[in-house]
Amino acid sequence: MHIDLRHEIRHDKMALLGILMLALILFMAVFAPLLTPYSPSEYTGRIFSPPSLDHLLGTDSVGQDIWTRLLYGARTSLLVAASVALLASSLSVFIGASSALVGGLYERFWMRVVDVMISLPTIIVMILIAAYFRPSLPLLILLISAFSWPGGARIVRSQVLTLKERMHIYAARTFGADQMHILKNHIVPDISPIIASMMIQDARRAVFMEAGLAFLGVSDPLIISWGKMMHQALAFTYLDVWKWWLLPTGILLSLTLVGLSFLGVCIEAAMDPRLCRHEHEHGQEHEHEHEHWNDYEGGLDHEIETEQPDNGDVGFLEAGEC
Amino acid sequence: MQNEGSRRGGSALSYLIALLTIFALNFILPRMMPGDPLQAIYGDEALVAMTPQMEAHLIELFALDKSWSEQMVAYVLALLQGNLGFSYYYKDEVSSVIMGALPWTLLLVGLSLLVATAMGVILGIESGYRRGERIDRGLLAGLMLLGGLPDFFLGIVLLLIFGVSLNIFPLSGAITPYSGLEGFPLVVDIARHLALPLTALVLVDLGGIFLLTRNTVVTILKEGFMLTARAKGCSELCLRYSHAGRNALLPVTTATGLRIPQLITGALFIEIIFSYPGLGLMLRTALDARDYPLIQGILLLATVTVLTANLFVDRIYQRLDPRVRYAH
Repeated sequence: MHIDLRHEIRHDKMALLGILMLALILFMAVFAPLLTPYSPSEYTGRIFSPPSLDHLLGTDSVGQDIWTRLLYGARTSLLVAASVALLASSLSVFIGASSALVGGLYERFWMRVVDVMISLPTIIVMILIAAYFRPSLPLLILLISAFSWPGGARIVRSQVLTLKERMHIYAARTFGADQMHILKNHIVPDISPIIASMMIQDARRAVFMEAGLAFLGVSDPLIISWGKMMHQALAFTYLDVWKWWLLPTGILLSLTLVGLSFLGVCIEAAMDPRLCRHEHEHGQEHEHEHEHWNDYEGGLDHEIETEQPDNGDVGFLEAGEC
Repeated sequence: MQNEGSRRGGSALSYLIALLTIFALNFILPRMMPGDPLQAIYGDEALVAMTPQMEAHLIELFALDKSWSEQMVAYVLALLQGNLGFSYYYKDEVSSVIMGALPWTLLLVGLSLLVATAMGVILGIESGYRRGERIDRGLLAGLMLLGGLPDFFLGIVLLLIFGVSLNIFPLSGAITPYSGLEGFPLVVDIARHLALPLTALVLVDLGGIFLLTRNTVVTILKEGFMLTARAKGCSELCLRYSHAGRNALLPVTTATGLRIPQLITGALFIEIIFSYPGLGLMLRTALDARDYPLIQGILLLATVTVLTANLFVDRIYQRLDPRVRYAH
């Protein structure tokens, strides 16, 4: 798996658009204190005031500044997204790769756990647990991570199973490399595009789940969350406040989720040569298709023989422009 | 064949373990809460309304004065008898409360499963067949954008546009209360109430099935048998549906099983937004009132449905694709 992700993203309008959306949210989250004079838990004393210079998006039903809460809500969403992406994908890589490398009973145990967890409807189980515990932010992150790793672990395992038979891994082993070294220096770099796509999916699911649980009203009441703002705002659709309360909140949440999806789709398409996006721009697409498949396979053989993956990579990219 | 048998047995075992995990969670969670287990099982508010006889009856029912293992046995026995407990909020057995709301959810989920699958497959085939043309790119971008939106926001947007601003469709409920409608007007009334939630759920669900069908069709178009079919003189329609479309059905079937959990959770959110009187709205009420037996009952039903659907699709898949049956 040798794909230059930076190249892929730079040449994909959709991925760039996704990054732009995420950058906007990140900007709001990082500079939140500079963009508003209020604190998110401050009560202004005026409820349902319409947008004005004092309150850009007005105030909500308890008199808190909506714009301020939106900014700090971005922090919660991004914090949950980043932490879950890191935690869950680390678990996926570690459990998936170690299962493939160690094998035996250890592998069978973990794959059984993965099977069981994949067949469980995650959100429903999360709602059940959250209904009892009303989890705080760290607990919420741990919970979402605990339910997010199995899918990734299965993918990582299958990738590592083929990878570990490659020559360069055998070579490393004859030089006395232990499993940890092989995992860190040979396997993780090789599957990095898969890890990137996994992290984006984990992040997306985490943002959705945090918002969803808050929307149902089962997360810690102290968390400032877009989901909870929508939960509160939905009760007042008969007033005009939805225009500056419900709608902007939903739009920001959607921007975050859509941005992550766009980025994820780009990476996934880059990894699947069958879905080569630029092929319709060529006149003779079938011939190109064959060329690029041959080159791809040729590249792999080449790689195994000489351990110079860069050569295969260049041929692959030139032939298909994928 | 033996290998296949063990694989099948393996997947069934996974579902069984998953089911037992859920039972265990339902059993352990309330007992992990601080304080009186009866209070945790039934919630604070329930205890206020409880008479001493009822309390004694419940303690006996759950064997709460006995050891954990005996409690477990009592819990499993009650479940096997279909006894999900008593909802203090609705003042009725949980199972009968759920039965009251279930038809509306089934109507919503079932219809959107049908509509979304049909629309997704047809649009996917047409779009994949015209890959790269304007209509394909438009559909792809549009549906991916829709699929990227959180389902509850899509519902809210529909509600705000068609319910609040334009006032075309009713804002909440499944039928107009006290209207005394019968026969055909009743059906129209139900359809009018169903229109927005159904649209929201279909739009959320459509993207995935569309993308899958389209991508499968794109890869199938390059197969040799498509060329043969064209050489035989098959019509375009026959090429598209009998050859490309039929082969694209397999992944769609698998994906249908995977979509059911999403549809069910999607329906929970959509029902809350449109105050549609199904299980989702009931769950929201139960969560707000901390009516734990009802929460457990609804979520248990949802989980069992999802597990059954997945198991079913696993089996169907092996029947549909001879390659899977003979490959092992």
